[in-house]
Amino acid sequence: MQWKLFADIAERAGTDAVAVRLDGDDPTVGDALDALLETYPALRERVLVDGEPESRDGIAPDVNVLLDGADVFTTADGLATEVSEGAELALFPPVSGG
Amino acid sequence: MYVLAVVGPDGAGRADLVDQFVGALAADGTVAVVTEDDPVREADGLPGASDERVRTSVGVGSDGWAAAGTDRTLDDVVDDLTPTHDYCLLDDVREATVPGVVLGGVDYAGDALTTVETGSGVDVDAVVTTLHERIPHETLDSLVERATGAPGAEFAGAIATFTGRVRARDDPDDERTTHLEFETYEGVAEERMATIEADLEQREGVHEVVMHHRTGVVAAGEDIVFVVVLAGHRPEAFETVSDGIDRLKDEVPIFKKEATTDGEFWVHERDTGAE
Repeated sequence: MQWKLFADIAERAGTDAVAVRLDGDDPTVGDALDALLETYPALRERVLVDGEPESRDGIAPDVNVLLDGADVFTTADGLATEVSEGAELALFPPVSGG
Repeated sequence: MYVLAVVGPDGAGRADLVDQFVGALAADGTVAVVTEDDPVREADGLPGASDERVRTSVGVGSDGWAAAGTDRTLDDVVDDLTPTHDYCLLDDVREATVPGVVLGGVDYAGDALTTVETGSGVDVDAVVTTLHERIPHETLDSLVERATGAPGAEFAGAIATFTGRVRARDDPDDERTTHLEFETYEGVAEERMATIEADLEQREGVHEVVMHHRTGVVAAGEDIVFVVVLAGHRPEAFETVSDGIDRLKDEVPIFKKEATTDGEFWVHERDTGAE
């Protein structure tokens, strides 16, 4: 599966696209995020935060996590959402178009 | 309108390749060709064309029209062509920033779709397919043209539009913004704009909603974003155009980096609440 990174998050990683492979059964968004953070530890302090409400699974309030174009917290089971091999995941800050 | 540049020396088969693109694109829509040659002031048969006191001279006849003038830039001309053409070929405009085919190793600042020695090495159909994956050029006029061509236009008595542009500064003491650079989550951004358009079109009296957001570098004073609403009457037109731009700013994954005379920053990291 593929992570897409945007804006300051992409700058921090030094790349805007990262392919990850997960070997276990029924991998989740959380597993894909762990794999990403293992390869790019500099993202850890930007993306994770302590003491956030449980509904955000420890993800900073100003970070969006999308699975195939949909927010995993508002449309799915957060980091527990299962992902398929061909999934496209995305991490981005608050939007600022217009 | 999709804009494609073909750049390279005359000896690299550029004219022949432009002709092949004209053939491929004309099968699918209306085509414009723009060059940077300087023939216009010498145009035959245009009264005043070589008279410096005349700003614009135009000939209109039963076979068509020809015009010459001194007051249009290349960007102005491309904008003017946008509502009425599906494709625009820029013939050897090397400072363009649009998708381009680069021949003979010349420098090209835009998005090079393919770089080859001569025109005979270009797969025209493959270039056209790639061009269609890029975000087309739109202007306020081209969006209004699309909205007024929609079904239901006969019941519509109002068009309301919003244009967002790059503000150089908020007050006289601010450092100047030179440009904004937009990064777009391509695919998802278009999906979300289509959802907003479809939602707003469900409203009573709203016939068509069209939105477009530019990406990449947009200089101070240039347009960034457009929302066009075709509606029965003005109250729903104004309300919908206002809700449309608000939802676009809240929901569409586009990110703005601001460059001022003082430095660069991501707008979401320094949001003062001003819009």
